Formats: sequence, C-alpha cells, structure tokens
Amino acid sequence: MPKCTINGKEVEVKEGSSIIEAMQVSGDRIAHYCWHPGLSVAGVCRVCMVEIEGNPRVQIACNTAVTEGMKINNTSDKVKDAVKWGLDFHLINHPLDCPICDQAGECGLQDQYMEYGKYDPEMAEPKQKKHKVVDLGPTIVLDSERCILCSRCVRFTEEVSKTNELGIFNRGDRSEIGTHDGMKLDNNYSLNTVDICPVGALTSKDFRFRQRAWYLKDAETICNGCSTGCNVKVYFNKEGFFRVKPTFNEQVNGHWMCDEGRNVYKFVNKEHRLLKAQVKGQGSSWTEMSAGAAAKAAAEVIKAAAADSLALVLTAQYSVEEFEAIVTTFVKDFKSNKIYFWINNKEAFDNFDGLLVRGDKNPNTKGLLKVLEKHGITATWNELSRGLKSGAIKTVVVAAPENQVVFPDFADRVKELSQAQNLIWLQSGQNEALKKLDGNVWLIPMKTFVEKDGTFINHSGLEQKFKKVTLVVSEALTLTEAALLLAGKNLNIHATSANEFLPLNQRLDQVAVEARKKNEFVFKRGNL
Amino acid sequence: MAEVKILTEFYHLPEYQTLAGYQAKGGYETVPKALKMQAQQIIDEVKASGLRGRGGAGFPTGMKWGFLPKNGEPRYLLCNADEGEPGTFKDRMMMERAPHQLIEGMIISAFAIGSHKGYIYVRGEYVYPIECLNKAIQEAYAAGLLGKNILGSGFDFDLDVYRGAGAYICGEETGMISSLEGLKGQPKLKPPFPAVQGYLRKPTIVNNVETLAAVTYIIRDGAQAYRKNGTEKSSGTKLFSVSGNVVKPGNYEVPLGYPLMNLIMNECGGMKPGRKLKAVIPGGSSAPVLTAEEVAKANMDYESLAGLGTMLGSGAVIVIDDSQCMVDMLGVLTHFYAHESCGQCTPCREGTGWLNKILHAILEGRGRLQDIELLIKVADNMKGKTICALSDAAALPVLSFVNKFREEFEFYVREGRSKVKGTTYAEMHH
Repeated sequence: MPKCTINGKEVEVKEGSSIIEAMQVSGDRIAHYCWHPGLSVAGVCRVCMVEIEGNPRVQIACNTAVTEGMKINNTSDKVKDAVKWGLDFHLINHPLDCPICDQAGECGLQDQYMEYGKYDPEMAEPKQKKHKVVDLGPTIVLDSERCILCSRCVRFTEEVSKTNELGIFNRGDRSEIGTHDGMKLDNNYSLNTVDICPVGALTSKDFRFRQRAWYLKDAETICNGCSTGCNVKVYFNKEGFFRVKPTFNEQVNGHWMCDEGRNVYKFVNKEHRLLKAQVKGQGSSWTEMSAGAAAKAAAEVIKAAAADSLALVLTAQYSVEEFEAIVTTFVKDFKSNKIYFWINNKEAFDNFDGLLVRGDKNPNTKGLLKVLEKHGITATWNELSRGLKSGAIKTVVVAAPENQVVFPDFADRVKELSQAQNLIWLQSGQNEALKKLDGNVWLIPMKTFVEKDGTFINHSGLEQKFKKVTLVVSEALTLTEAALLLAGKNLNIHATSANEFLPLNQRLDQVAVEARKKNEFVFKRGNL
Repeated sequence: MAEVKILTEFYHLPEYQTLAGYQAKGGYETVPKALKMQAQQIIDEVKASGLRGRGGAGFPTGMKWGFLPKNGEPRYLLCNADEGEPGTFKDRMMMERAPHQLIEGMIISAFAIGSHKGYIYVRGEYVYPIECLNKAIQEAYAAGLLGKNILGSGFDFDLDVYRGAGAYICGEETGMISSLEGLKGQPKLKPPFPAVQGYLRKPTIVNNVETLAAVTYIIRDGAQAYRKNGTEKSSGTKLFSVSGNVVKPGNYEVPLGYPLMNLIMNECGGMKPGRKLKAVIPGGSSAPVLTAEEVAKANMDYESLAGLGTMLGSGAVIVIDDSQCMVDMLGVLTHFYAHESCGQCTPCREGTGWLNKILHAILEGRGRLQDIELLIKVADNMKGKTICALSDAAALPVLSFVNKFREEFEFYVREGRSKVKGTTYAEMHH
C-alpha cells in the first residue's frame, strides 16, 4: 500500500495503482478523455498531465504507477499549460457547433474548455473534413468530425462486448472510427459506447435530438428489465422519461448495462399508461372512474365472494414490500391461499449471456419466491387452470406486469384468466387484449417502478432498495395501496396535478413534436 | 584520418552477397567461436565495446540486452530494417551487398540473449534487399547455420524476413512489433518496454541492421579492438548516408567522432561546383538542422552533435547548399510527418497536420507574421508529450529551421515568395 502526496494531501492507494486512480481516491480533479476505469489504458489523449517531483517532464497520470513517497501535482502552471495545449490540439479540428450538437451540456471538451481554456482559437486554417452522420448500426450514429479518437468505443468492443466491430481507420489527422468490412455495430451492449464517448461523436438513435441535456433531471434507480438488477440513472423532465444510463456498481453491473434495459423508460411514460380505472359489467361498455373508486367497488365483490372461489395471480414485477402486503391480505383477511405465480418465459429463465443479460426478465423473481415461501404458498398454475375451467374459481385479482414486452404469453393468459366471473386486473400500461375483455372487469391503473419506493432481490439474492423518482400518473396505485383498498380499508388517493407530466402540446421550452415537422428547415447540398 | 572499413571492407565484391563469397573473406568464422562462449560473456563483451544502437536513438546495445528478464521465457530477436528516416539508405546497402553479415550478427546476438526465433522486418519498398536476404537465409539454412542445432552446438535459431507495408511509424520499435503482430502499425504504451513485454507479449530485443552486423566484429576482434575507432563514449565506426548538394553522395564508413566538414569535403568531394554550404541535417530528417558555422565545429559522434543541440540519429547527412529555400524544404518535411503520424496521440495527430497547414499557408502566400511564432509554439508543445518520438521528430526540424533561418521565413511571409529562389511556391513546383 504505497503512500503518495497529491497536491499536498497524503493518500494511500492500492499496490499497482496508477496516478489517475489515486486521484479518484483522493478526489482531485484531473482532465482525461481516453482513460476509463472499466477499460484498458490507451494513453493517447495526453491531457491527464501531472508533475512528479524529481521529473523534469510532465507525465501522463493514467500510465504512471504510484510509488512510495511520490509527490504529485496537477495544479501548477506547468501542468495547466500542458493541459491547455492538450485541449487545444483536441479542438483545432473539432467543429465549433455546440449549439446543434447533441452532447452539448455533458461534453468533456466543453467542461475542460471552461476549466483550462477560455482562449481564442489560433487555428486560422480550414478544419479537417471527415464523414458526418455515419450509420454505424441499428442503435448508433457517428459524427467523425466531432470524434477525438480517444478509442474508448473501440476498446469497449474489444474488451467488454468482445464483438470487435469497431476500429480506427486511416492515419494521422485523417483517422476515423468505423466498423470493419461488412460489419455493423450491432450488439446488445452497443449503447454503452455512447455513454463512454466523451464528445458528441457517437449518439443514440433513440435519444438524439429529443432533449437538451440541461433540460433533464436524473435519479438513480434499479433497472427492472431482468433479474440482474443493473444500477441505473433515469433521465426525465416534465415531458416524460427520455433515457436510461448505467451507474457504477462493482457487485452488480460494473460500469455497463445492456441495450434491452435502456428501453425500460418507455412503458413508464404517460402515453403508454392507463390513466384512469376502467370498469365494465357483463355485456355493458366501459365506464371510466378513479382508481380508488374502482378498487373500493372491487372490494365489495371480494367481500361477497367465498374464500375458496378467490384467487390471486402475481407477476415478479413488483417490489418485495408490495408482495408482502398483498399476500398477507389474501392469507389473513380473505383466508385464501390460492396465490399463483405467473411465470413468463420459463424455458429461457436460466439463460445468461456471460456479461449482464439474464433470461429471467423479471426484476424480482427471488423476492416473490421468498414471500410465497414465507407464507407457505405452494399452489401451481395447473391448479388455477383447472379451477377456472371448472368454475370453482370465480374472482381473480391479477397483479399484471408493467414491462409487457417481456411477457410473450400476455394475450393467452388474459384469455385464460377471463374465464373468471369477476376479473380485477391491476396494471400500469394499456393493452389491446384488455380492451376486448368481456364480463365483470375492474381495470385499475398501477404505479411503475420509478413512482414508488421498494426492494428488488436480484438473481444472486442481493437486495437492492430503490427510491421514488417522480410521479407520472398521480391516480395510480401501488400494490400495497391496492391491497388495503381491496381489503375494504379506507384510504384516500388524491389525484393531484402538481407533479404531473405535461401533454405534448403544452411543451414550454421546446417546439412541440407536431410543430417541429412543419417548421423543418431543409438545407440542400450546395445551397449554403 | 579517412574511411575505416570494418563492416564495408568487402562491399565492392559482387560475390560477397553469396555464402561462398562471404565465407571466402572470413564470413561465419565467428559463429563457432561465439557458440563456444558463455552467453553472458558475449553480452559483457558487447557492453565493454560501448556499441550503441545505430538505428537512431543511440542506446547502448549491451545495456538493452541486459534488461531482459533472467528466466527461461521464450524471447525474440527482431532486426529493424524498416529504414524509414528520410535521408537514410545504409541498411539497404548492407542488406544488398552483405546479407550474410546481418545473419551472422543475428545468430551471435540471438545466442547471447537466448532467443530461438528472429525476424528481420524490412520495409515493403525494399524489394531487392528482401530478395537478397531471402536467398541468403536459404543458403544459411542449407549450410546448417540456421535452424536446429547450428553447427552441432545444440543451439537452435530460426530466422524469417517479414515485409512491412512501408510506414515510417513501423520503424519505431513498438510500432514495428504491432505491425509484426498483424495489428495496425502503432507504437505501444511504455512501460512495459519490449525487453520485458514485446512481440506477442514476450521479452523482445529490437536492434538495427548495422548494430547487429557490428556484433560479429566485436566478438571476432574483441571489445578493445572495436574501441580503437571512435571516441570514448561513441566507439567504433558508423555508416553515414550522405545526400544533397555534394559531388559524391553515398554511404561512407568512418570512425565516430569524424569531423563533419571532413566527411563533406574529403569523402564526398566537397560541394557541387560554385555552390556554398548553407546547412546540414546531420542525422536524418528529424534531427535539428546545423548552420554552416555549426557544421565547422561538428564531429560525427553522439556527444559532439548533442552539444550542438542536434543528434546523430540514423546517420543520414543531408547537405544543403545556398541555392535551397529553407521554407520550401521545411514544407516537404512537415508534409512527410503529417502524412506519417499514426494518429494515435492527439498532440502528434493534430499537431503535425497543423504545422503542415501553417507552413503551406506561408508557402502559398497566405502567411501571417504571427504564423512564424505560432509554428514555434505548436512545435514546442508537441515535444515530449506523446507515446513515441514521432511528435518530437516532427517538431524539432520546425524549431531549428525557423529559429536558425528566421529571415527566410519572414521574407516569405512578407513577399509571398522565396528569398533564395525569388519565386513563388507555384513557380518552384510548376
């Protein structure tokens, strides 16, 4: 454990640490582009310069190991001048089009320029021309002129995804990132390259030009795309959620997440959500009412039902606390142990791609099993099928999935469950199959994982708590609230517009999507 | 004092290219002697001889060999015959005239460092030298000088020629290793150095053609005999490739420490008739240029040239007379480095292109007076900031040309034409 001094502070670091790693420990700021803690050291951007006592030349911090008693400094004028010039070399051929660049606001070059730069450019010559809007694959677009050739994305495909699609082609200031012959950047981890790109060279087709970075808030939560439970940040504002990015957790996902998981923000947004409860009787049409009122009406039906005609169907998409609440309600209040586990893609459950993605597409299978085990529930789906067929089970409460994409059997199960006389369907999103239901149906809107606190237990048994991020549908219930209401307890659910998302045509800060089309400027080649 | 022919003694004989001709002049006699010695003895002898790398950096060869880890790990001996430094053409002659001399040196060196596999990395443009080497390697294999159990000594050594595609950067030792591994020819981050982790991540020694050839003579005659030539710190002889405005350009082998003026005036027959010496680039295009006054003081050894702020480099002496425009010449050099930068490190990738653009703006009459200062600033900040020395190699000529011949640059910026030739860039280059 060597000790060194960084900017006058003594720091003890792990054996073999580089100076830049030591600076992460000590909390000192250091400019860097090519170095990334999850990748090998490339040492090519040459801006992480430090001065080491006894060495006349400034050194790069990423490839210099800390030795005992080393005295390191990165605040001297000599270092600042070296960084300033390192930055200048990055900028001379970099387009100065920040206002129309998607990375603006979260760009490494902008950040460092504000810290070390603030000078007028000395480059009077025309900038190097390279390829713009290169379609690298189904998820990513490349702008070579903005690229600073830090090689992070190339190293990512070599070292992490091990798919080797990317390379640097040509030489000198004509160098460009590209895909190898006949290849597309098409793997389930491709969007990580956008995250680690320090500039606006790689942009996600899903996110680009939809929001400015400074109009977004972010909050940490757990991805509910599969049983890995990657730690993520969701980015949102009053118009909705726009993207998901991974945050570092050594135990779970390291620095990365999969492309599939980046879609979990989509079903959370208002346009895909059930906003009001929908209730209908046999043969009649749907009536809209508030979620609380619908739940209270459903509670009456449950109260009238015999204990052995009542069943509960659970998907592993809710938090441990919610499972506990609803299972307890069923077992204690309704005296029913007909509780069934709706397993979506059973055959793929144990699949694992070796990096992050697991076949179990539920965030909380372990949590659900734990709660069921605690209450001694052993019922199987076959018993439910038989009960529905014979008419023994008359009233079913379904805690349906919020991420419907990973439930390929959704329509089939809806059909099967609709055999029940009374169907109380708890779900966050809309679905065509539900609209076609006939019989006594209570369709009650639920909250999604970003709207509540809770715990997920991932594939390895790790309990991960997550916090409420924001409110999307204020009326929607959590499963805990639904359990209380169904048990006939009084609970006031206030509908509030305080935190609600805006409809698209009321966007304040940007041109609305519809209007955007009309006002589109078309620049023809050669006109400018 | 004049030419001292140790390496080049029999280069005038056409048959020296063949195994028979080489052996007739004492070739391969040192191999059995060396194979009977202890490996460490050979390393010590090379250390004692003071032999320094002839490729450009001048690093002591014996010391480099000493960096190898002392275990039985497989290791490689690579011969750097990429000879890309503009102005250098000595290795080419050595491989054409005496390919066996290199092979003999490599056998002895490989034995000393305990390597059983060697490669000669030759630049792709050297078609004829590659032919000569391949033929010589075949002859050597047939004679039992390469392959398993060389001359019954129990020592195995295999040797292959690898043909590069002709990139300047592949002459940098780690760039060469990358290229040999089948990767894009880009230098690797150091540490680890090749002696610890090189070709295929195994310990590797990379030496220049001339360095390896000289090893034979050090073992044959002993370190002390080798030290008779040259100076205390720069021992032995060295081949100099003289080009430019001299009467007899060519390769000359002279002892290190030989006065540069003598080399130009005696060996090369002086300047072309009616011309005056203006400047000399003494060690290949990346070495800072010397003015005529400095040339008079220069001796061709590592220390003397370092004292004048330049370097011996690969030994390429480019002689410039008073009819040459320094701005135009520097334009050629900046273009070369902008073209050859591998593009890995930012200061070099962007800096070489920037220097070239500024210089060509000046040459094409678009120059601003502050551009001269800018050239110096940019070059200054490219120095010592990158993985390999290409960035320095591009910056040093700019700094020396601009600082030493500033009035030519200022004239060009003001008038839009060459001070020496009186013509514009377009007129100079039709």
